[in-house]
Amino acid sequence: MPTTTDLLGRPTTPLEDELLDLYRRCKALLEGDDLAPCVRAGVRAATVGLWNVVNDLGLEHEQLIDLGA
Amino acid sequence: MGAGDQYWNPKTETLGRDELAVLQLAKLRRLCDWAAARSPFYQRSFREAGFAPEQLKTLDDLRRLPLLTRDQWMASQGEAPPFGLLPVAGREAAIRWHTTSGTTGREPIRVLDTTKDWAWQAEMWCYGLWGFGVRPADTAYVAFGYGSFIGFWGLHYGMEKMGVLNVPGGAQTTEGRVKQLLDFGATVVASTPTYALRLAQEAERLGVDLAASPVRRLILSGEPAGSIPQTKALIERLWGAKAGDTAGMTEIGTIMVFECTHQPGGTHIIEDHYLEEVLDPAGDQPVGYGEAGERVVTSFGRGIIPLLRYRTADLVAKVPASRCTCGRGFDLYEGGILGRVDDMKLVRGTNVYPRAVEGIVREHPGIEEFQLRLTREGHFDRIALRVEPAADTSDEAWADMAERLAKALAEAHEGLRFEVERAGPGELPRFELKARRTVDQRDTPIGG
Repeated sequence: MPTTTDLLGRPTTPLEDELLDLYRRCKALLEGDDLAPCVRAGVRAATVGLWNVVNDLGLEHEQLIDLGA
Repeated sequence: MGAGDQYWNPKTETLGRDELAVLQLAKLRRLCDWAAARSPFYQRSFREAGFAPEQLKTLDDLRRLPLLTRDQWMASQGEAPPFGLLPVAGREAAIRWHTTSGTTGREPIRVLDTTKDWAWQAEMWCYGLWGFGVRPADTAYVAFGYGSFIGFWGLHYGMEKMGVLNVPGGAQTTEGRVKQLLDFGATVVASTPTYALRLAQEAERLGVDLAASPVRRLILSGEPAGSIPQTKALIERLWGAKAGDTAGMTEIGTIMVFECTHQPGGTHIIEDHYLEEVLDPAGDQPVGYGEAGERVVTSFGRGIIPLLRYRTADLVAKVPASRCTCGRGFDLYEGGILGRVDDMKLVRGTNVYPRAVEGIVREHPGIEEFQLRLTREGHFDRIALRVEPAADTSDEAWADMAERLAKALAEAHEGLRFEVERAGPGELPRFELKARRTVDQRDTPIGG
């Protein structure tokens, strides 16, 4: 299994890996163009919540405007 | 409160300085890539400055980036109304539109936020609220009008995010707010320092002893007074609660500094989300630890309006993280925001700082409001401190207070004579947001 690192260059922990995975799965869902309004709004909220987590932990730093967030 | 419980984000709040720099550089590179790719303003300013994001090899390379001034921002708004050329997207990408408070009388800066940006702003407040000891079991009362000024909006959502029971004060009278915060059993109150004093005055008029209320923490923001020792001491005494200073600005949308529970006499900079420089106000050279200078901010948060090296005009003095014993690796601004670089008034050759005047005034708890008024008669500058003492202040007590004020002001200002005048009850303006107590009526202020 490939080792991932955070923005500090440290290996990520199992919890951080799980959080990154959740974040990326939410983003992937948000890319869909056939989501019902209630689904899109909820997934967007979840993605933004996880963005704050991965950003706070120095795991990822990116913008979400192209995903409508 | 256990040691591990005092940080909102233990991982980055306790980083060493070298590790923090690695994180900041990684975020800075990504932000510059983003700005260069999407912001018309930065595309032009980078080109004119000969800057490309690939040049960022170390944090020292930050100084290759051009500085951004408020005047440039305003000119950009004029060039491409209403938001200017800084934003990477238009209003269709945003969920919030806010403006600066307009207290300076200038045209306001207009800002947009996306869903992500808005959530990040609440996150910054969480660092500060948690750091000052607010916890989910608290009940917070937000004494704020909830208008287009961004003010305490982020605090409101930060409280909700933390799980705090949150009471929006909204638009109502000061009397109504005093009664409501008591009725709801608030343990935390958020307001400007000026308004915290006003609430205390109103409570006294109503015969309410706030010190006996459940309020245990005040979150102050919006004015430098939250870190003026005399003002803070007065607020803490009247409320029987701890007062924690924070500071933010519309241009970044939220706070960038907060006071922790150790109250070391300064505010921590949230350095995993900001790069803060302190520069010589008259130029662009950095000043060292402990030296006062102009705060220049780079924010890693708001994506729709990238903010790189923005000259804030805030006067600050940075000191190392080791000044505080809380364990955070974040540097501090000693004394919080000291004022504005253009706050200083020159009166008959003497520098007068409104912050210093307030410090002297607040040593007299019987003063309800005050105003510093500068006028010119011929070639002679006059400076008057207009004071509104409590309505029941006798002539004798007033004479004593006025004499002591004039003496303290003169001693603090190289013998400069301040005329101390009594204002009638309710005569001076009251403030809910940013107080403006210095009125300079000289036609051509000298150095003002």
